[in-house]
Amino acid sequence: MTIEALGLEHFYGRDKVLNGVDVTIDAGSFTAIIGESGSGKTTLLSILSTLLQPSAGIVKYDGKIVSELGNIDRFRRHNIGFVFQFHYLISYLTLRENIALGAMEESRIETLLHSLGISKLSHRYSDEVSGGERQRAAIARALVNAPSVVFADEPTGSLDSKNALGVYELFRGFSCAGTGFVVASHDKKIADYADIIIEMEDGVVKDITK
Amino acid sequence: MITPLKALRKNRFKTSLIFLSMSVSIAAIFLISAISGGVVSMYSAMLKTDGDIIVTQKGIADTFFSDINRSLNDSILQIEGVKVSSAMILGAAPVDPLPIVGIYGVSENRFKSYPLKEGRYPKVGEVMLGSKIYETLKHPREVIISKKEFQVSGVFKSRIGFEDGGVVMNLSDGGELFHKSASIVLVSLEDLGQSDEIIGKINTLDAQIEAKTTESFIEQYNQFKIIQTSSDVIGAMAFLMGILGIVSMMSMVVSDRKAEFGIMRSIGLSSTAIILKLLGETLIIAIVAYVVALGVSFGVLELIEHADKFQGYINGEITSALMIQVFVISVVMALVGTFLPALYASRIDPVSLIQRGDV
Repeated sequence: MTIEALGLEHFYGRDKVLNGVDVTIDAGSFTAIIGESGSGKTTLLSILSTLLQPSAGIVKYDGKIVSELGNIDRFRRHNIGFVFQFHYLISYLTLRENIALGAMEESRIETLLHSLGISKLSHRYSDEVSGGERQRAAIARALVNAPSVVFADEPTGSLDSKNALGVYELFRGFSCAGTGFVVASHDKKIADYADIIIEMEDGVVKDITK
Repeated sequence: MITPLKALRKNRFKTSLIFLSMSVSIAAIFLISAISGGVVSMYSAMLKTDGDIIVTQKGIADTFFSDINRSLNDSILQIEGVKVSSAMILGAAPVDPLPIVGIYGVSENRFKSYPLKEGRYPKVGEVMLGSKIYETLKHPREVIISKKEFQVSGVFKSRIGFEDGGVVMNLSDGGELFHKSASIVLVSLEDLGQSDEIIGKINTLDAQIEAKTTESFIEQYNQFKIIQTSSDVIGAMAFLMGILGIVSMMSMVVSDRKAEFGIMRSIGLSSTAIILKLLGETLIIAIVAYVVALGVSFGVLELIEHADKFQGYINGEITSALMIQVFVISVVMALVGTFLPALYASRIDPVSLIQRGDV
């Protein structure tokens, strides 16, 4: 799957946070969007992931314009996964139930639990496991429907450096297996793992490194 | 089913508040409907005892104000097709020390409608007491009704609370007490199919009277309409209060669980799925609240029925039809009260999970 963004602009009130962004992201790649706070990386990620409508410009998935897709919820469920800075696991559900929450079929859950190293914790609640284990469960939830691409916003922001590197390695591994990852982060260590680095500054793409 | 139960348990404080709000509203609807239904049902049952046709003063709003000549009873008995006819005086008077008690002056042929528990039927100057008032007055040998003393000849047991908490006397004594000949005549027929014909004949006996089938009299009886309307209005207010309670509590629940619904939206769960999830949760609370309210209502009605203060006049009646009706009302209350907060939850913008982190 190829994601194309053409002429993206976005305003929050009168503040222009994206100013003509054009990017193309290939399926199966690990793409990092980096930049300082306020550079527009999170807004770009939100628009690319279909959660946010741009003020101007279009986003295409395999040539289809997102704003013209009939059922965006259904499209998102079939094609996109999300990992947030805070795990946002539902506290009254076990890790397994959290992963199963949006699953169209449950056959992948055991495999994911195993490959993410949390199969023994699957019946625990989020407040009974460590921060790194929570984020692994959140990654499993993002991958449960075998999406083409997973978007992650500061996924290591609440983790220590050891766990952060572990998350990047997981992303690297899953992207090698065919799932695309687009990760917004201010952590420069991500550059060691990403295939493509999009550097944002003041709402524009400053540089793209492959 | 497990997920809604877990969600309810996790939010147990607010779940409890919603449950309480619903239980109180449902119990209020049950009680007001049961009590008003009980009053109507008791009075109807009393009139229907050996009464296919009721004869009252023409154009009267209440049987208590009706005044007809008791000699009509003899004339009615002569009409072909009439099985039994009995005159009654319906009144209320203080029975020392009770401030107000139902008094029934009846012709002798109606005494058999009051199954004796002890003693005998009253002669002139005597009364028989319903078992409830007999207990309340601590087994008296005589009673003072409107400053006049009567000997107690016997005690009867009636399933109709107005009678069981009342006093029955001879028609002549009732006439002296209330200064009237009779209030109503109740007519029992050989064949109900003849009712129209017999009503016609009775109406020709006196221009000042009005005969109706007891069914039609009850349907048109103003007192019943007033009781029913009051009950409906209070029930509707309880219903609205229940909805408002659910809306306000569910709005807080949704606010507390914004992240949860934002996550659901981000992973592609449809708005409908989120709305159904919340409706399902409230429906579970509604069903439990309904069961509890039903139990509480039975308990309260039992207490009221046996409370001396009410003299057995309030016999709430929770029928199967009322149970079904209130169950439907409870479900509607839950669904209507939850819909708006659920709609709001289904529209929570998942971007806020990323950009603000404040959900």
